[in-house]
Amino acid sequence: METAFDRRLFAAWLVLVAITLLYLWIDHSVDHGGVLVASAFATVAAIALACVKVRIIMREFMEIRGAPPFLCRITDFWVVLMAAALIGTYLAGKAVA
Amino acid sequence: MTATEEVREERAGIRHIPGQPDMWFFVLFESLVFTSYFCVYLFVRTQHEKAFLQSQSHLLPGFGALETIVLLTSSWAVARSVQHARAARYAESQRDALLTAGCGLVFLALKIVEWIRLIHAGHTFTSSEFFQYYFFLTGMHLLHLLIGFIVLGVLVNQLSTANKRSQETVETCATYWHTVDFLWVLIFALMYVVR
Repeated sequence: METAFDRRLFAAWLVLVAITLLYLWIDHSVDHGGVLVASAFATVAAIALACVKVRIIMREFMEIRGAPPFLCRITDFWVVLMAAALIGTYLAGKAVA
Repeated sequence: MTATEEVREERAGIRHIPGQPDMWFFVLFESLVFTSYFCVYLFVRTQHEKAFLQSQSHLLPGFGALETIVLLTSSWAVARSVQHARAARYAESQRDALLTAGCGLVFLALKIVEWIRLIHAGHTFTSSEFFQYYFFLTGMHLLHLLIGFIVLGVLVNQLSTANKRSQETVETCATYWHTVDFLWVLIFALMYVVR
């Protein structure tokens, strides 16, 4: 039996798969003829999109959408914390390299 | 809490924590531990950018994307399993739990094939710094995946035995499996996609 919830889960899965395929396009657009090229854009975009995917998994698959507000806020804060730590470390590393 | 009580709570608009709260401490702790690994990897990567890119070129992003889609599908299936169990559709719930395990096995097989291909090409834990991080992070993730199979075994056992069914345990098992999924989402982005 299909329910509105099932359709919502399928839509979330489709978005997650689309973002996964978008990664391949990003890499294809920054690399030169199969040779990998350093790109701050590709790196920051990859991290940001990964964190968007983590939030979708948490909200839709892990049912945070229906959880008490404090858990919604904690998990959102955690995703932002992960994104800030990863992008911040990358940019700090680039600055001192 | 039984599935009927869960439905009543949902209809009453009362929000609840999915699964046992302890599992959420684990989720947050594990994501923090992996984030610290990722930060070390990203910092070292920026200091040896050319060497990391050269080693990274031996990975197949399309293969990594396929592994990601398989694991996302497993996560979708276990989310459906939770919803079926909540609606007391236990046969459908068990079918989706088994589909989750099937996707997990496909992911495991793909990962083993990928490791064998890399090792045969001379890329091992000690061959370069990039592959040291690659094998460490994917190995740690695989360990979590193997534990996930035990968790799914608990889930299937719960669903197949009428007097053992607990919606809270079903949700706890699913939460663990989703954690395995989102950790891979991060590893895929950081190992295969970043430049």
